Amino acid sequence: MQNAWLIPLLPLLSFILLLLFGKKLKEASAYAGIGATLLSLMLAAAVMLGQWGGESYKAEGVWLSIGKHAVTMGYEINPLNALMLVIVTLVSFLVHVYSKSYMRGDDRFHVFFAYLGLFTFAMLGLVLSPNLLQVYMFWELVGLGSFLLIGYYYFKPEAKAAAKKAFIMTRIGDVGLFIGIILLYWQAGSFEYDEIFKAIADGTISSDMITLIAILIFVGAVGKSGQLPLHTWLPDAMEGPTPVSALIHAATMVAAGVYLVAAMYPLFEASSAAMTTVAVVGGITAIFAASIGLMQKDIKRVLAYSTVSQLGYMMLALGSGGYTAGVFHLMTHAFFKALLFLAAGSVIHAVHTQNIEEMGGLWRKLKITAPLFLIGALSISGFPLFSGFFSKDEILMATYGDGRYGLFVLAVLAAFFTAFYMFRLFFMVFAGSPSQEHGKVGESDGPMILPMAVLGVLAVLAGYLNTPWFGTFLADYLSHGPVRFAAEGEHGPIWIPILATAVSLAGILLAYLMYGKKKLSRNWLSRSLPSLSTIVYRKYYVDEAYDATVVRGTTGFSCLWSYVDRYLVEGAVNGTVSLIQWLGKRGSYMYDGQVQRIGAVAVAGLVIILLFFAAAGGYFS
Amino acid sequence: MTGEMIAFFILALAAIAGGVLMINLSNVVHMVVALVFTFLAIAGIYITLSAEFVAAVQVLIYSGAITIIMLFGIMLTRHERDTASKMPRMTVLLSGAGVALFFLIMFFGINRLSLGSPAADLHIENTKKIGVELYSKYIIPFELTSVLLLVALVGAIVLAKRDEEKEAEK
Amino acid sequence: MNSIPLSVYLVLALILFCIGLFGALTKRNAVIVLISIELMLNAVNINLVAFAKYGAKPGLTGQIFSLFTITVAAAEAAVGLAILMALYRNRKTVNVDEMDIMKR
Repeated sequence: MQNAWLIPLLPLLSFILLLLFGKKLKEASAYAGIGATLLSLMLAAAVMLGQWGGESYKAEGVWLSIGKHAVTMGYEINPLNALMLVIVTLVSFLVHVYSKSYMRGDDRFHVFFAYLGLFTFAMLGLVLSPNLLQVYMFWELVGLGSFLLIGYYYFKPEAKAAAKKAFIMTRIGDVGLFIGIILLYWQAGSFEYDEIFKAIADGTISSDMITLIAILIFVGAVGKSGQLPLHTWLPDAMEGPTPVSALIHAATMVAAGVYLVAAMYPLFEASSAAMTTVAVVGGITAIFAASIGLMQKDIKRVLAYSTVSQLGYMMLALGSGGYTAGVFHLMTHAFFKALLFLAAGSVIHAVHTQNIEEMGGLWRKLKITAPLFLIGALSISGFPLFSGFFSKDEILMATYGDGRYGLFVLAVLAAFFTAFYMFRLFFMVFAGSPSQEHGKVGESDGPMILPMAVLGVLAVLAGYLNTPWFGTFLADYLSHGPVRFAAEGEHGPIWIPILATAVSLAGILLAYLMYGKKKLSRNWLSRSLPSLSTIVYRKYYVDEAYDATVVRGTTGFSCLWSYVDRYLVEGAVNGTVSLIQWLGKRGSYMYDGQVQRIGAVAVAGLVIILLFFAAAGGYFS
Repeated sequence: MTGEMIAFFILALAAIAGGVLMINLSNVVHMVVALVFTFLAIAGIYITLSAEFVAAVQVLIYSGAITIIMLFGIMLTRHERDTASKMPRMTVLLSGAGVALFFLIMFFGINRLSLGSPAADLHIENTKKIGVELYSKYIIPFELTSVLLLVALVGAIVLAKRDEEKEAEK
Repeated sequence: MNSIPLSVYLVLALILFCIGLFGALTKRNAVIVLISIELMLNAVNINLVAFAKYGAKPGLTGQIFSLFTITVAAAEAAVGLAILMALYRNRKTVNVDEMDIMKR
């Protein structure tokens, strides 16, 4: 436990090593990253086992002292972040292994692993931070890692644009977070979690201020977790290599927003308005993104919108008071979504396209990938006995128990959509006959299969950590943490799991009928409601709306100011310059070596100085 | 109107008249002669200011030595009639305006000047006291003055001497 | 005895100074310019002697200072005339406006 600080440092070490010697190591650089993350994973597992029933641990030292204020740096272990440590190191390790095979033959192989190391370091540092300032620093570093990895194929203009978009969109949220942190420091006088929570518990911060701060911090989480209205960067981020999508844009970084809300939970709990905001934004994001996912044609984009939707679920859970449910879903989602992405990567690797309409009939060709993808799809759809079933049930119950029935309906509907689009994807990719010949389609090799298998097992088993049947291990575990949450309605009405099951089965069945058996026409929606389907297909024109308003507006504004700069400011500057030059030329022209003229000028100067003195009332006054 | 007052006004008028003549005459030698009147009048004004020794020095050096030097300078150089060599009118006007402005500012400055009580015993043994002061209190500046005069002497000779080597070359 | 006020002496000195200044700025003949400068120095000397009698701290210092000034003026006249001679030898003129070798 005292060695927990090693966990983030090992990937950093790998990053530095690869930065310095990556060119020489070439393909062997994968082993540096794999080794470092494996060691981190083992340490993290040890830390988490120590947390099982153990005490929180915190170590820190003064980093800066400014006057009376001291800014500390350190690390903290509590049940929540120990769990996050394990999730991050595990997924990171598996993605490292997967990438070794997936990225083979890439020119910048070592750079990719260096970036992965940097990102893993930042993410682990973010999780371990005991104060908000440190969180913010790692938060930005995580964003940097994401930026570098999305733009890894920097020669592709789409990747470049996506990287910039991701960076700028999350930046918008970060500004909110930053203001929130500053306000919190102003009000509570500290960046430390526990001191902030104490200040909130003591009631030293006014309730309006708490609401404001909570919403500002939530804005940061919205940016990072791709919630409405800052979600558009996440689907575009799929331009990055697929393992990156699995690691950053499914399992870890986008979950950082959810983690932040969970870590700051007492703050949110103290303000019902903030909780409502979180729940409503989460719920609307869940249904909104799920509906977009229905129509997408790119396999990774479907998964990306699914991620946005599931993150919305987590926010909905947290906002409805379902602390355990949110964290639980964060964990299960990390596993099954990483699995889905890796399986999608395996498919892309095999057929070299991302368009699902060009796939089909891959079930017989990808004998290992396909069942694993099926496990992931079942899990995310909430099929009984898979992990997603348990976590989604808890979210639904928490939402129902919170009394926001509108959001509950939205969540159920989103669950239906989720089941539908996941199985639409599944049937279009794996069932039927190949719509196009892809040449020789071969199964991926061992290093790619192994991580998927591990994740597949976890995608099933992780759900049993917290079930109404075998005991609520996770809730018990988390209740040791610093966050005291109210006992949840774990045992809500019995009809909720049944409803959820029915809904997910209905979604699967509908997808089967439309895309598996093709009994229903695929295009009934686009035929009966062409405008609606176009709107959904174009993602509700959010990107276009942003482009028309914010981007165009900013560009126009910038253009205006660039003209102002070019013609007004620069004109003034150049005018001054040429005026001075003109004066100087005149002056030097006037200087003709005439001694008396020099004398006259000297006298004129003397007279002017004397005039000033005379006006001021004399030299001595 | 005391006798001193009358003497002052006559001397002041003579000094200013000499100056104005100097400006307006066209013959260079006449100009210098006009200035001699000014110098002499100033010497008289020194006497009204109870500075007999300074007055004597003024007569000796200005009216005598410097005037003679200037006359030598005039004689050694060639002079066309001054009427042909008038400055441009613009320059004269501008310089005149500047000088007039300067005069006005200083004039009003002088009017505002507050006065101390005058010294009464300066004229008593004036020369003797100056001599005692010069050789006691002001001995170092006095000796430095001699060095300055020597340097000026050497410098003037070097500058004015014909450069025979160069002329030989020509 | 002290019926003549200080300011009258100062005004006289000012008038002479202004005449000298005007002459120094407008006369073309270098000799006259030099003489004008002498006139300006004389005006200053009148100030010094007047302040020696009527100033805030009356005493001989002003008179002695004027003696030094006269000495320096004599030296200046000698050197100035020597420069004038040297220039005249080279340029064959004593007109100030033709002495523009300081130009560039």
